[in-house]
Amino acid sequence: MIVPFNHVLVLSGLLFFLGLFCAVVRRNLVMILLGLEIMLNAAAVAFVGASLRWQLMDGQALVVFIIAVAASEVSVGLALVMAAYHRTGSVDPRQLEQDG
Amino acid sequence: MSVQAFLFYLLSAVILLSTGIAITRRNLAHAVVYLVISFFGTALLFYLLGAPLLAALEVIIYAGAIMILFLFIVMMIRLETPEKPLLPRAQMVPALVMGVVYLAVGELLLTFSEPAAKVPLESAVATPRVFGQFLFAQHWLAIEIASLLLLVVLIGALLIGRQRSKIEEPES
Amino acid sequence: MMDISLAAALTGLLAPLLAFALIMVLLRGRPHLCAGLSIAAVGLSLGSALLLLARHGASPNPLEYSVQWMVSGDLAVGAGVFLDPLSLLMMVVVALICLLVQIYSLGYMAGDPGLARYYGFMSLFAWAMLSLTLAPNLLQLYVFWELVGLSSYLLIGFWFEKYSATQAGKKAFVMTRLGDVAFLLGILLVLAHLGNLGIREMNTAAVAAAFEPSTLTVAILLIFGGIVGKSAQFPLLTWLPDAMEGPTPVSALLHSATMVAAGVYLFARLYPFFSLSPTAMAVCLAVGTISMLLAATMAMVTRDIKQVWAYSTISQLGFMLMGLASGSYFAGVFHLTTHAGFKALLFLCAGVFIHHFETNDMVAIGRAGGRRQLIPLVCMTLAAAALAGLPPLSGFFSKEAVMAALAAQPNPIWLGAGLLGAFLTAYYAFRLIFLIWFPDRVSAETAPENTDAHGHAHAQPRWQVLVMLVPLVVLALPTLGLGGLQTHLMSFLAAGLTGPEPVLPHLPWLPLTASGCALAGLILAWFEFGRRRAPRIGFAERSAFWRSLFAERWYIDRFYRALVDRVIDRGLARLCAGGDRHVIDGAVDGLGRGTVASGKAVSGLHRIMIQHRLGTMFAVIIFLALYFFI
Repeated sequence: MIVPFNHVLVLSGLLFFLGLFCAVVRRNLVMILLGLEIMLNAAAVAFVGASLRWQLMDGQALVVFIIAVAASEVSVGLALVMAAYHRTGSVDPRQLEQDG
Repeated sequence: MSVQAFLFYLLSAVILLSTGIAITRRNLAHAVVYLVISFFGTALLFYLLGAPLLAALEVIIYAGAIMILFLFIVMMIRLETPEKPLLPRAQMVPALVMGVVYLAVGELLLTFSEPAAKVPLESAVATPRVFGQFLFAQHWLAIEIASLLLLVVLIGALLIGRQRSKIEEPES
Repeated sequence: MMDISLAAALTGLLAPLLAFALIMVLLRGRPHLCAGLSIAAVGLSLGSALLLLARHGASPNPLEYSVQWMVSGDLAVGAGVFLDPLSLLMMVVVALICLLVQIYSLGYMAGDPGLARYYGFMSLFAWAMLSLTLAPNLLQLYVFWELVGLSSYLLIGFWFEKYSATQAGKKAFVMTRLGDVAFLLGILLVLAHLGNLGIREMNTAAVAAAFEPSTLTVAILLIFGGIVGKSAQFPLLTWLPDAMEGPTPVSALLHSATMVAAGVYLFARLYPFFSLSPTAMAVCLAVGTISMLLAATMAMVTRDIKQVWAYSTISQLGFMLMGLASGSYFAGVFHLTTHAGFKALLFLCAGVFIHHFETNDMVAIGRAGGRRQLIPLVCMTLAAAALAGLPPLSGFFSKEAVMAALAAQPNPIWLGAGLLGAFLTAYYAFRLIFLIWFPDRVSAETAPENTDAHGHAHAQPRWQVLVMLVPLVVLALPTLGLGGLQTHLMSFLAAGLTGPEPVLPHLPWLPLTASGCALAGLILAWFEFGRRRAPRIGFAERSAFWRSLFAERWYIDRFYRALVDRVIDRGLARLCAGGDRHVIDGAVDGLGRGTVASGKAVSGLHRIMIQHRLGTMFAVIIFLALYFFI
């Protein structure tokens, strides 16, 4: 017997909120990407909990795809960050806005 | 409270705490390292919730590959001008307001959720063998699409990197 | 057989239109060709009018050729020509005077830089007026009624470099338009009740069944409003004297003989319809009487030769309306016909004097030796005698017919007003004549035939003088002889009238009284202006009060000026301008500003930092969640 499913959802929700807070508030492109990773991770936690709740493996299968999407997103995102950094010499999203 | 429940709350605390520290670090390298701790905790949580394969993938891909990638980037960027206000008020206040609304919605959802969500979960384990067979039997098309996505991303990342060097060449 | 009539009518109508189009589009640069073309077109019209008169003069049945023009639901409006004795008579009169005036203009307008334009407008007028005359229904009549008004505007302002001319044109246009609005409303009222605008349909007694009596009266009075505007009756009478700013032939044609008579023509055209409402007829009679007397008093004090004839035109038009409204169709139309002849003659004679002496002032003309222009002066005297109603000229017969109709009225006040009008008419007409015949001193005789002083006038080629004199002589003939045709005309016109003409009692004392009144006016004029050692100042001019009252046109113009200034300019216009500036402009500006401002506000969502967009997305998703789950 572990914990009720609601508790897993609470953990997932708080984690998602932390990721979102990071992505929205931190004025740094790298931290925005990190926030996205945290949010994806929170979704993965919710899926794993749901998989246990309904005793179905589809939730876990989705987590595999989430990880794949996260990896792709990070690689493209970081490439873009590097491009922006080389253009503006900064990772401040405000610089990007002013630039173009 | 069972041992498993205790472990869950402990891991939850570790994950939330390390994530919270990570997002407030001024030094990016520190943030990434704290996040690695958070992902390790998540991996253990997956194991606890009966997903050993996912736990392994989490460690390898998230904590391993992705975070290492972040570290490389952080090291490549020299931050001459660190963020002046770490949490600028213009962005934080609306975010917090929205966060309160968000938490309220979540609370409502939990309060009005079905009773089955309030009983403790039965523990079960999807072994890597069974999970792998299930994955390739039921979701082979999604796997193929994901692989295609990875290929596109590979090409895209290459292209973005090359464009930058091409743009820079005539300037230098 | 039908086809020949139709072809003749269409030829007569369309020839001036064709001339107008050719002149305005192609021939602006060749004025003499324009003049020839225009005269030829009007001549063709006159020929076809005479042909039609010969073919249908004897037939009692009116002919109507009509095609469907507008059909909407159960409303149908046609277009075509309508030939009956009245329209044929009017067509001949119009075409004849058009032709004579255009020939006269060859001399009068010679050398004017706008000669081509002048003849173009004249052709336009001829076309519109002839089409108005032959219109088979009110809508078509209204269209040409407006076209006639347009050509009047164009011709009054023909010398547009003169400020007063443009002002006069504008005034004429606006004032007649006031009446025309009423006319249009009347047409719509008739259309709404009758579903038909055909003149023949309106002139049946069955029409009365389709209307409430009060509605019928309102409709008639609205249509009469158009007549008031067009014929310059009280209270819209002040545009006509100002319209004398145009060239004198224009005044002769449009503003005395034909166009202003269109109002009276419309009354005659719809005479059976009008007579359905005794109330409306009484109003028309009153308006005609007031206009006649007012205009006659105004004519007593002015020294401008054209103004006198303009006032007398208003006066005589009012007299025609009196005749029609007092129940005698024939008297009104007969006076219309004779008046067209002698008034055109008066204006053309006046034009000769104005052209020769280059002044409008009758006293100055007399002093400069006006009586040496023998033919015009004799013609003008003849015409003035006809205007005064002296036997045996045409005006005597027609005036006597109107007087007989007035005498048949139960109330003797109308006959009294008519006799007073006859007296005043004779007085002011002969005041002018005597001032030219017998000036107090003749200054020009000290320097006779001075080519330097009158270089322009005497340098005129012989043929130009001749073309101006021939129309005078031609017009003098009907002035002399038209009275003898009274019985013929009466039976001719009676054939076209559906209702029975009221049999007027024959009053042997009436012609004597009427001509006695006229003679009294003449004698008074002789005593004041004609005889040797005459004071040469009229009884109306002695008192400053009456003099200024008459000269200022009974302050009608001042009143309008004040009305326009106070009520329309300062009140209504300012209100509208304020409303426009603040409400409408404000709304539009506010709309624009609001759009820009909200655009700026919303543009933050896509223009700003990526993080704000992220936050916006987050907020939207949360609210969507709220919406879906709660």
